[in-house]
Amino acid sequence: MTTSTLGRCEEVLGRLARGDVSAFEEIVKEHQSMVFSIAYHFLHDRSLAEEAAQDVFLRLYQNLASIVSPRHLVFWLRKVACQRALDMARKLPKAPPVSLQDIAEPAADSPDADPLLSEGLRRMVASLPKDARAVIILRYQEELELAEIAQILDVPINTVKSRLERSLGILREKLHRWAGGTAR
Amino acid sequence: MNPWEESLREALRRKAPPPGFADRVLARIRDLPAREKRPWFRLRAFIARPALRWAAAVLCLVIAGSVAYRERQERQRRQGEIARMQVKQALRIASVKLNAARRMVQEVKQGTAQSRL
Repeated sequence: MTTSTLGRCEEVLGRLARGDVSAFEEIVKEHQSMVFSIAYHFLHDRSLAEEAAQDVFLRLYQNLASIVSPRHLVFWLRKVACQRALDMARKLPKAPPVSLQDIAEPAADSPDADPLLSEGLRRMVASLPKDARAVIILRYQEELELAEIAQILDVPINTVKSRLERSLGILREKLHRWAGGTAR
Repeated sequence: MNPWEESLREALRRKAPPPGFADRVLARIRDLPAREKRPWFRLRAFIARPALRWAAAVLCLVIAGSVAYRERQERQRRQGEIARMQVKQALRIASVKLNAARRMVQEVKQGTAQSRL
């Protein structure tokens, strides 16, 4: 988060504390792609991801009083988004059906370097064990340090390290098989 | 980050939610049961604030500390009182014994004087 974003977020939180509910819309718009993407990369299903993301913002609204700063807000959203996605993933059958509609549009204009490879990787991430999936998403989507991931997932840093290494190994192997042994 | 990790980062780039997402969230908030807007829920949310929790924890510690301190003072006072009573009792016993001894000495003295006469 940049300093100006933090400042604006702080101002919005201040307005919320003074009872200005319209400020909540700004918070949703500011963080919707982060929350939605965590859920989407976790569940690989746009409608489920939207439901999860909506739940996260609803919980945020109900717990607004406990948010103390913009950094805390982002931490809280990441943590609850992971928890909610994890809960929903537990209730899903092992391999959720994926349709063409499920392929999401990127947030920015920069297109994927290789759309086929990117989609393949997203599917592989969505097929990882749930705990490992959370680590990969926080590491490569949110670009967080291992210590931050450990804080969000409430696990020791060594667990994060081992989950990351294990899931990267699985992904490399899957990618190798998927690309017919050409990817490395 | 190596090229393979770069592809992973690229694949997991943030995605925009479907259009109208924020409106749907706000609509769900408007549909929240009225009970969650009642004073009790607002009070609960107020109490849930971390600063207030810390203040409550510090207050509890201060109260527990002062109760323990007063308890200790009271115990020491009671022990002192018991010790004072024991000293008084001992002095009383010693006084009785000394009086008895003095009386016996006087009796012996009187007996000796009479036999001399």
